[in-house]
Amino acid sequence: MALRIWASSTANALRLSSATGPHFSPLSRSFSSVLDGLKYANSHEWVKHEGHVATIGITHHAQDHLGEVVFVELPEAGGSVTKDTSFGAVESVKATSDINSPISGEIVEVNSKLSSTPGLINSSPYEHGWMIKVKPSNPKELEHLMGAKQYTKFCEEEDAAH
Amino acid sequence: MRIPRNLEVWRLGTVNYLKALKLQEKLASDRKINKIPDTLLSLQHPPTYTLGKRRTDYNLLVPESELKNMGAELHYTQRGGDITFHGPHQAILYPIISLRDIGLGARKYVENLESTMTELSSLYGVKAHGQRKCETGVWVGDRKIGAIGVRISAGITSHGLAFNIDPDLTFFKHIVPCGIADKDVTSLRTETDLVLPDDEVIQEQLVSCFARLFGYNDIIWKDKNVIEIDG
Repeated sequence: MALRIWASSTANALRLSSATGPHFSPLSRSFSSVLDGLKYANSHEWVKHEGHVATIGITHHAQDHLGEVVFVELPEAGGSVTKDTSFGAVESVKATSDINSPISGEIVEVNSKLSSTPGLINSSPYEHGWMIKVKPSNPKELEHLMGAKQYTKFCEEEDAAH
Repeated sequence: MRIPRNLEVWRLGTVNYLKALKLQEKLASDRKINKIPDTLLSLQHPPTYTLGKRRTDYNLLVPESELKNMGAELHYTQRGGDITFHGPHQAILYPIISLRDIGLGARKYVENLESTMTELSSLYGVKAHGQRKCETGVWVGDRKIGAIGVRISAGITSHGLAFNIDPDLTFFKHIVPCGIADKDVTSLRTETDLVLPDDEVIQEQLVSCFARLFGYNDIIWKDKNVIEIDG
């Protein structure tokens, strides 16, 4: 854990960023399965808030605990999501698992690639495996979510519990 | 210090599929708000075919009208997995438990369900195995003895496993079971040399394997008539 935090602070200090936005740290990604600059729910979804749009997906920890995703059910654009309520589901190892939205808002875009390539959730949970884009109706909800360090600790505690 | 965990087991006898589904939905929402502890339903179904969320009804090889003639029902569900058959002498376990409380993900939960069935099989000298990549379930060689289909919503499980004690295997001929075309279905009766006790005994043993694998300290057994529960 110390190594991860060191790596992400180093990345931040060096101001490493990808072309997609100032808050991403590709270096920390190779050391860590938790990305800086994202917000996290305790049901293991992540939110990337950029301007008026928030992108939502599930974390590396979540996809690892699910196993290989073979099917994804997503809502249609134009619909709405409510904080802590299910908006879709994934199937892996003969289990369908609900996916919950960390925030409320209007769905503006849905990742259509996931119906033909559900495995993107496993191979690229923070990038190509994104699920929906939402216009947040209540941006304050983002403040209640965890940051990277807090989420990392949360995962470790959860895994140690059994 | 570990808090002791209890499992409440409801022995339900034979239950209509939809009744059992309604009961699970109620229990899952009760479990979500901690109104009830981890609960396990132990039962059998009358002849019933079921489909999962992916609605793979192309794996049903006969028209739905013919199922009625056979005395079987067909139901579409929200569980994972493909088409399967449930019927008399097949032991069903529906755990309604909080995975978040025990920090298990779907993959590990399903592995434990597989182990429950492989352990039970070994009690009768049958070498079964799970954890086959891409083919969740429990196998004896190339023959499937146990199936799994699960739903996880708000971290609470429903549906579960089906273990073939001695069901009428001809019912499986009308489907491509679990979507796997080239493999047979088998049963404990077919695979063991031992004389089998009553189903109730085997079902209790299955529950005990489950409880041990999931680390429960105590089992509280309850015999329930599901018609009374309906209310």
